[in-house]
Formats: sequence, structure tokens, C-alpha cells
Amino acid sequence: MTVQEVRLCGLLLQEHFGEVVEKVGTLMLKNGAQNLRTILHETGMSVDLVKKSLCVLVQHGACLFISGRKGPGSPTEYRASCDQILRILRYPRYIYTAKTLYGDTGELIIEELLQRGHMTMSSTVKKVADRLTQNMEEGRSMDYSEVSSAFSSLVETHFLQRCPQLGGAAMKEGTAPADAVTPAAPAAPASTAPPTAESFSDCYKVPQVTLIGRGKRQLASEDGEDQRNAKRPRMDSEVHGDEGIYWQVNFERFHLHFRDQAIITAVANKLDQTSSEIVRTMLRMSEVTTSPSATCTKPLSANEIFRSLPAGYNISRPILDQYLTLLVDDPMEFVGKAGESGGGMYVVNMHKALTNLARATLESVVQERFGSRSARIFRLLLRKRHLEQKQVEDFAMIPAKEAKDMLYTLLSQNLVQLQEVPKTPDYAPSRTFYLYTVNQLSTARMLLQNCYKTVANLMERRLFETKDSKRLLEKSQRIEAILASLQASGAEPEQLTEVEEMITAPEKQQLDALRLHINKLDSAENQVDETIFLLESYINSTATSAS
Amino acid sequence: MARRGHGRRMMGFGADSVSIARGDALPPTMQQPTPVYPAMEQKPLPLTGGEEAEYLLALKQDFRGAMRTLPGFIQPAAKKRDVERYSDKYHSSEQTDGLPDWTIDWKRFPKELRVRIKKPARDSTPAVVSRSDRVQPGQKKKRNVKEKEEVLLKLETLEKKEQQESEEEEEEGEEKKKQEEEEAEGEEEYDEEEFEEETDYIMSYFDNGEDFGGDSDDNMDEAIY
Repeated sequence: MTVQEVRLCGLLLQEHFGEVVEKVGTLMLKNGAQNLRTILHETGMSVDLVKKSLCVLVQHGACLFISGRKGPGSPTEYRASCDQILRILRYPRYIYTAKTLYGDTGELIIEELLQRGHMTMSSTVKKVADRLTQNMEEGRSMDYSEVSSAFSSLVETHFLQRCPQLGGAAMKEGTAPADAVTPAAPAAPASTAPPTAESFSDCYKVPQVTLIGRGKRQLASEDGEDQRNAKRPRMDSEVHGDEGIYWQVNFERFHLHFRDQAIITAVANKLDQTSSEIVRTMLRMSEVTTSPSATCTKPLSANEIFRSLPAGYNISRPILDQYLTLLVDDPMEFVGKAGESGGGMYVVNMHKALTNLARATLESVVQERFGSRSARIFRLLLRKRHLEQKQVEDFAMIPAKEAKDMLYTLLSQNLVQLQEVPKTPDYAPSRTFYLYTVNQLSTARMLLQNCYKTVANLMERRLFETKDSKRLLEKSQRIEAILASLQASGAEPEQLTEVEEMITAPEKQQLDALRLHINKLDSAENQVDETIFLLESYINSTATSAS
Repeated sequence: MARRGHGRRMMGFGADSVSIARGDALPPTMQQPTPVYPAMEQKPLPLTGGEEAEYLLALKQDFRGAMRTLPGFIQPAAKKRDVERYSDKYHSSEQTDGLPDWTIDWKRFPKELRVRIKKPARDSTPAVVSRSDRVQPGQKKKRNVKEKEEVLLKLETLEKKEQQESEEEEEEGEEKKKQEEEEAEGEEEYDEEEFEEETDYIMSYFDNGEDFGGDSDDNMDEAIY
């Protein structure tokens, strides 16, 4: 947990869960695993609030609990997970992806699950059906079976997964250390690490659920009827056959999808549409056979690729071969050749593709901050690894004075490092080589922290702007509410204009400017998150390929 | 290093390798911390617009708004101000505890996090809980017959839950329950009457006299006329 990550997590928790949860969450992030008593003592808040916040955090998967590390009698420890909280930045992207793949139904399912953390299938289906019915015309409603089928397809493609058994596993941790021979239930491995969802053997199995009905439209009713309606859901707690089976969104699967999208768009930008379609086909064929942390897909023969191309693309076999050769020869190395059997065996190099994408990001950062000549020096150093100052000037074809200045600026910003190679055992300055070098991995990490800091700054600025104009915003909300109620009860246009004029023209301008700023800041956060995703994927893939 | 040049400036790098001539002025030293918002030589690129970006923006803002209304959004307890103000009656509607809407499956949470969820007694009185896993069936609104049925239902279910708890806690719980029931009932009656009449006058002053004066038996300083 770096300082920037903790600060960003705090802001995200505050925006989505309130200040109480933010306090508890930041405390746990800063201090690691804690038990309830320490948290109470450090935050000084009431027992109730702390317990509720812990429940909220566990419900959303941001916090895990393990009982009794030091033996069966010791209290449960809670550990907050920074990565889960940082995912909140990416929620809009997940929802949008679900919309493109599964339509409005899929979008609402993912949105409900993200809002609530963990839910059973039946409650999700009911809520989504109600929401869809709200937006349909009068008299039509959404059937539960349609929503259920969308849910099942999301589970089949692994976008949703079952939650691991938290309660059972927690108890098992206490008894497991004694004898490793006892066959553990499918949930927990015999280590003290909390069980992942994947270790649960049934994690993608849709339960048998009896759900018959249609979505209910929420009508504006009087108080008596309202109370009766409010009482009814509590009275009819039907058992649908899936109690205790909770579902959560599988972020890793979404990340794989984003990674594939990034590779395909990169190929489309660099080469052309047909080659990107070929790469898309290859990725689609190896979706199920490739593990998430693999560096490259399983080899696919050119014959298979030819057969699986989408029907709209009728390119002939020799042209396909030419495209594949082009892809293999490209310096970005998206596709590699793994053999000659079956007309040529081809793989998609995930790790290399991510490395190149990250490298392009770093280069563009340097270009936008320091100019294109500094970017030329940076690219040179990335390619040639270690260079002396004189060599940099020669290769980059930049006059000595300017090259020196640019190198020192890059050095002071820590984008370029200096490596000393001595000629003699005492590091005498006149007899040592000083080589400039760029270490891609550490530069990527540094830029990632910069990105976190950027998003945190953007959020703080947005909160500041909202707080500044709080009075104005409240006034405009009240006026909108009045307008809406007047329109609903059928008022004349004069009344409406009279109400609208309660906001003066300069205030309107101020409101518009405020709205523009807030939209800009929000949009910027979304874009920085795309860079964050790319850099994080690169760093993770390097870490797994190195281990 | 032990042997610094006596009186000579020792160059960190050799003169050749970084092309600084001996006599050249080194760049001026920094006298103060770097400015907080330094002037940028290059302006940053504009944001990418487009339909997708706008849709993502709308999704993000909707999500944020929706999270505020969900039970997961926890408000801190209302601070008691020195004097009860008129606007509190209107502000208190913003701070309702949404937790009762949220049905939690307690099997998935550790035992110590169990919070007995009671229905909010009053909007104006802050929720006072001495021990969170106490059952307080007495603090129910007694307005409608329908709600009484719900109360009975809840009492039954809560009773069953309580029987699962340990026995020592039950004994303590009953004592505390009675204490708090009395307190709660006293507060409830007071507030109920005030709300029903919607005046600023204290209605219990004109009550039939059973409650008035009965509470202040201990306080012998006031003269009773």
C-alpha cells in the first residue's frame, strides 16, 4: 500500500460509502490486518458504526476476515484489500462492456451486482426485472425467464462467479493447521491464505432456481396501499431454491476482455481492419484454452484460423497466409510463429503485446511532457539500453548542449537512470563510465503511482468544486423538484416559467460552468483509469512471467 | 570520501563524461521548495470526447448517485447541537439509517459483527444503543394495527434468535431491556403527542396529570404548587 494508493482508496470509499466507512477502511489499509478491538480503539467511533462499516466492506469484497491466526482462541482479523477498492474506478467500464455484449439486461445485472456486492440469483433477477419494467411502456412487463437466461449466459462466459464460502472457510482455518491430512471441503486450501473464488469447484454452476413471474411496476399509491405493499415483500419470502448461494462480478474475466480489446485495437491502428479481425478470431478461439496468466495463447494452425474466420470475411487462403506473415514480421510482435505443421502454427504473444503497449504509453507520456526531442532520446535509450552521453548526442542527432539539458531534465524526473561502470577498483570519476539507461518496469511502476495521485487530485478538486457551490446546487435541485411536481399535476406554462425564473441568469451561467467542470473532471478520471489498467496489466504479467 | 581536495571543488563527475568545462558555472542551487503549480511548457492534450466517453461519464455519475441511496452508505451519528433548532426537523430526513432495508445473511459474516437491527424509533432522537446485540422489541412504533402485527411477528423471530444466544447474555439482556423499554416508552409518548398536535406547546403540560410531576419525584429543589 503506497501513500498514493491509500489516499485514493480513502477518497473512493468516502464517495461511495460515506465517511464512516472511509475512516475504518483507511485505518485497515494503513495498518494491515487488525482485530475488532484495535479498530474500535483507534477510530474512537461507536461499536455499532464500526460493525456496520465492516459488514459493508465485507459485503463488497473489499475486506476479508480470517479467524484466529494465533490459535483457536484469538479474535478474527480483518484485512482490507487495496486492489478491490481501486476497482471501483473501473465500474463504469464493466457496465458498459456488459451492455455491448449482453444488451440492456446484462448491463442492469452487472450494475445491480456492483452496487450491492454479493447477491443471490433470485434477488438479482427480481430487481432487474422491476427496473426494466419501469422503463417499458404502460402495460408491458419483463418476464423473469428472460433475465434468468441473460444471467446464465453471463455465468457461462465466466463474467459472474459464485462467492467463496466465507463462513465455513474461516472456521476451517482454525482447525486446519493441526492435521493437513483431513480432506478439506472444496472451498479452503490447507494454507492460511483466504480462499479464492476459483478454488471452489462449483463456482460457475448455475443453481436450479424456480423463478416464475414478471417484473412489478412501482406505482405511486396512497399511504394505506403503500403500507400494504411494503408489508407484502416481507410476508412472502418465497424460497427459490438458491438460498446461501451468492454471486459476485468476476473482475479478472473483464480484465482479460479489456486486454484482448486493447490488443485488437492496437493491431487495427497499426495495420488494418482485416488483420485485427484475424487476431480477434485467434483470441476468441483460445479464450477457454488459455489460462489468464499465460504469456501466449496455445498454438493455432492456419487451417483452424481459416475455418473460424467470421462469415463476412471471405478472404482466400493465400491472402490469409500473407496477413499472418505480415503480423509475425511486425516489430510489435503481436503474433508469433510456433511451428510449421498444419500450414503454420501461430500464437498471440500476450506478454510481448502488453510490454509494447506499456512502452508506447511511457513514450507518449515523455513526449507530451517534455517535447518530441526528449521523446526521441527516451526511445533511443529504450532500444539501445545503455549509452554514454556522447553516444546519445550522436545517435539522436541533437546538438550537445540541448541533449545535455534534456538528459538532465529526464534524470531529475527519474525517468532515466545513471549506471556507473568503473574502470578501476576505486570509483574515480575520471576513470568511470557513466551510462544512461531506462528501466521499463520501474518507470512503469513510478508512472502508475503518478496516475493514482492524478486520480486522487481530480477527485479532490471535484469535491472542492461541489462543496464551493453547494448552496447553488441545492437551490437548483429544489427548483427542479418543484418543476417536476408542477408538471406532473398539470400546471400552466406561466407557472412553470415563473418557477424557472427563480434562478437568475448569472446563477444559471454559474451552474452551467460548474456542470461543465465536474463532467470534465469525471471524464478525466475515466481516461486516467484506462492508463492505470494498461500499466497494471503490464506489471502483473511481468511479475507472473518472472516468477 | 576522506580526501576531499583541500580548498578545491571536487567535481562529482569527471570533466569529460558530462561535458562540463572546469570554469563553467554550475546551474543555480535551489533556495526554496519547488512551486506547487509549476508553469507547464507543454499544454496537456484535450480529453477524448465521443459517444462512448459520454456514456461512461453518465454511468459513473448515476452509479455514484445510486450508491448514496443504498443501505451501504453509512452516515455518522447526528451531532447533538447545543440548542435544538427548528431546522432539525427538516434536516433529519436526510439522515435515515438505511440498514433495515438490507437483509444480511449472517452466516457469511463472523459472529462478532452481528448487529441487532431495530427499526428506527424516532427521527429526532439519535439512536442510542448500549450493547449492539441486545434485542429491543419494545422500541416499536405503536401507531397502526398492521404494524403491531409486524411487531408480533418480529418478536417471535427475534425471540427464537435470542434463544440461540448464550444464556448469560439473556439474563443481562432482560434487565437492560426493561430499563430501556421504560426510557423508550417515556420518550415515545412525549414525542408522539408533540408530533400529533404539531404545535410548539408542550402537550403533556395539559395532560391529565398522571405523568406530569410523576417524573420529578427525585428533584426536591422545585417547589410543587
